[in-house]
Amino acid sequence: MKRRRSIVTSGPRARSPYAGEPRLGLRAPRNRAGGVPGTPGAPETTAGTPAPGRAAGSGPSGYARVPGGAPSPVTGSNGMPVAGPVPGIAGAAVDLSVDLAPKRPGGLVLQNPVLVASGTFGYGIEYGEVVDVQRLGAICCKGTTLKPRAGNPPPRVTETPGGMLNSIGLQNPGVDAVIERYAPLWAGWQVPVLVNVAGESIDDYVGVAQRLDGVPGVAGIELNISCPNVGKGGLQFAVDRDAAAAVTAAVRRATDLPLLVKLSPNVTDIRPIARAIEDAGADAITAINTLSGIAIDRGTGRPLLGNVYGGLSGPAIRPVGLRIVYEVAQVVSIPVVAIGGISTLDDALDYLAAGAIAVQVGTAIFADPEVPLRLVDELRAYCAARGLSSHLPLVGTALPARPGRPSAKGVEYRP
Amino acid sequence: MRLLDAELVETREILPRQWLQRYRAPWLAAGARAGQFVHVRTPDYSGLVLRRPISINTVDRVAGEITLHFRIAGKGTELLARARPGDTVPMLGPLGRPFEVDPRTHHVLLIAGGLGVAGVRFLVDESLEAGRQVTLLFGAATAGDVYPSTLLPDEVEYVVATEDGSLGQPGRVTDLLPAYEAWADQAFACGPYPMLSALASLAAGRQARLGVARLGRKRGTGRPVPPGSPQARRRSWLQVSMEQHMGCAVGACLGCVVWGVEGPLRVCREGPVFAAEEIAWEEPA
Ligand SMILES: Cc1cc2nc3c(=O)[nH]c(=O)nc-3n(C[C@H](O)[C@H](O)[C@H](O)COP(=O)(O)OP(=O)(O)OC[C@H]3O[C@@H](n4cnc5c(N)ncnc54)[C@H](O)[C@@H]3O)c2cc1C
Ligand SMILES: Cc1cc2nc3c(=O)[nH]c(=O)nc-3n(C[C@H](O)[C@H](O)[C@H](O)COP(=O)(O)O)c2cc1C
Ligand code: FES
Repeated sequence: MKRRRSIVTSGPRARSPYAGEPRLGLRAPRNRAGGVPGTPGAPETTAGTPAPGRAAGSGPSGYARVPGGAPSPVTGSNGMPVAGPVPGIAGAAVDLSVDLAPKRPGGLVLQNPVLVASGTFGYGIEYGEVVDVQRLGAICCKGTTLKPRAGNPPPRVTETPGGMLNSIGLQNPGVDAVIERYAPLWAGWQVPVLVNVAGESIDDYVGVAQRLDGVPGVAGIELNISCPNVGKGGLQFAVDRDAAAAVTAAVRRATDLPLLVKLSPNVTDIRPIARAIEDAGADAITAINTLSGIAIDRGTGRPLLGNVYGGLSGPAIRPVGLRIVYEVAQVVSIPVVAIGGISTLDDALDYLAAGAIAVQVGTAIFADPEVPLRLVDELRAYCAARGLSSHLPLVGTALPARPGRPSAKGVEYRP
Repeated sequence: MRLLDAELVETREILPRQWLQRYRAPWLAAGARAGQFVHVRTPDYSGLVLRRPISINTVDRVAGEITLHFRIAGKGTELLARARPGDTVPMLGPLGRPFEVDPRTHHVLLIAGGLGVAGVRFLVDESLEAGRQVTLLFGAATAGDVYPSTLLPDEVEYVVATEDGSLGQPGRVTDLLPAYEAWADQAFACGPYPMLSALASLAAGRQARLGVARLGRKRGTGRPVPPGSPQARRRSWLQVSMEQHMGCAVGACLGCVVWGVEGPLRVCREGPVFAAEEIAWEEPA
């Protein structure tokens, strides 16, 4: 039966954002290309020092679709002097595109590496009046389950030092309603939409994936195996290597869509889990989801959130996200997409250095919905100022030159 | 809805820890309706990751100005209170659904508990402008918290209740309702959840007590009104403006729900104004 499905859905896919477009030459950097799955491979030089002198013409040139924004300034956004830029590399000449599924036929090519994180941008329409969503790298929609879910009792959000807690409880109308209400809209968009999928059993996940498979407007799946809010839902899969691998493999068999798997930080050692997910057929890893936490209502002395537990997000979790991206990037060869407290160019650059080829912005959107597009413009300007035709040379600069060094010691919690 | 920088023109403490601020914000002044709110980014933003929802208190369409009236409740409002004339404060708005007044309504009853007055204040002006009669019932704990009558137009009948009896009628504002429920064609309320809940149960019994037909009852071949629609609200005798902690304030994060009879409702999108019958009052909020 699964075989039949894949026959039906293979072949030219009606994935509208890229339908009929030439494939881009640019691929994700393979920091650990050639590595045997499960062991760190030898890093390629792409992860090394930026090449400020790279000629404009030497970059991939087939990419004609320049996002329709104002041309970016040639000077660096942080006021750094432009160190010997090659004439001709202006903001518009910088190609920020990335492929998040280089192993998949057709890939998952984004026009830029700035995505909006699941649960913070609804279905892409809510912010439509104030954000030009078509200029985003991609949109990850709200977590979608097989059946509709009413979500957790209120209050569901509260601010915490440098962050916020949320316990939405995966409120969503169910996959069928999502396909009916939103996919037709998405199909007409230039920006790809990744459907964030959640479930309480492998069958749930597979059911959602099968329904999404081949639906015009659905560019890929981001598997949420890590939502800490729903007791039975996410946690079990994300913390257990075998369960994480099993659900990834099952969804992999159920669909040809690009498959991203989103990691939970609420684990002791992320590396075996990340490796197992790669082995199970994920095209990319996104990390991190929220950290589990609670807040107390000082007035009543009782837990503030209706669900007691919430997920922590925002700047407060950035060091944790960086650590996890840093660890994951060393043990997998598939692309890593960073999430966690990103609101400025510096935050994004840190994550690139830690090994991510793209970033997602979540909580920062609430304070300033313009953050994601500003990051696109600033990253473009930053690359242009350094004579880079792409942001990819910035990826992985913080990773150890020789594999295995920090990994051998395990996660370092020593102060 | 728009992202904009509002310039603070005037700021003053009208009651202890309660501030009235006047902003230049032509876009908001031109388009906002009573019951809507803005999502405010506090000026010194370091450390705070969320905006703060504040009702649009009044608008001056000619001058292109709006006012906000807020109480210092924590860090965000504290920072906002420190803003000085000339400062710009980023705002997102106007947001949410407004109060819906039935065109046939002549007698408008407004019920405010404490800071809830900021939620209905704009409706005072809108109603007077439309030639309606307005009574404002206001409740506070004590005289020191009572909204100054000088900030209200003369045409408004202003009735105050204080819980300690230090000003006006002793007791709660909800105790005042029975005396006005026959007079009022429609009522609009903003305040703490228990107050709104009490009003909702009073309103539910009103029809039976008075033996009156509900406003806008379907006549003859009238089309059915979809629940939750502006038309449905317009026909409701009691509309309430509700509060909930918010993330996005545009309907994207599902953080701000209250429980309605048909499931979760987003205060920022389906609200903040609801028909009292839309809310499942016994559920937690
Ligand atoms: C639609 C709407 C309109 C409002 N209009 C007004 C108004 O006109 N005047 C006024 O004084 N207040 C109003 N409020 C309440 C106001 O938003 C809160 O008092 C304010 O957010 C408190 O922020 P803080 O940083 O000072 O308090 P803190 O306690 O430090 O805030 C911590 C977090 O909780 C949230 N929060 C705390 N109390 C509330 C609350 N009652 N409602 C929503 N979020 C809350 C804050 O936004 C913040 O995210 C309104 C609320 C809503 C939902
Ligand atoms: C209100 C809210 C809702 C969220 N809902 C989801 C969800 O449905 N699925 C999911 O995988 N992640 C969800 N997340 C997690 C975010 O996508 C992201 O991983 C996390 O917030 C960390 O990024 P940030 O610090 O930039 O917000 C949610 C986060 C927030 C704040
Ligand atoms: S605050 Fe995000 S949905 Fe209302």
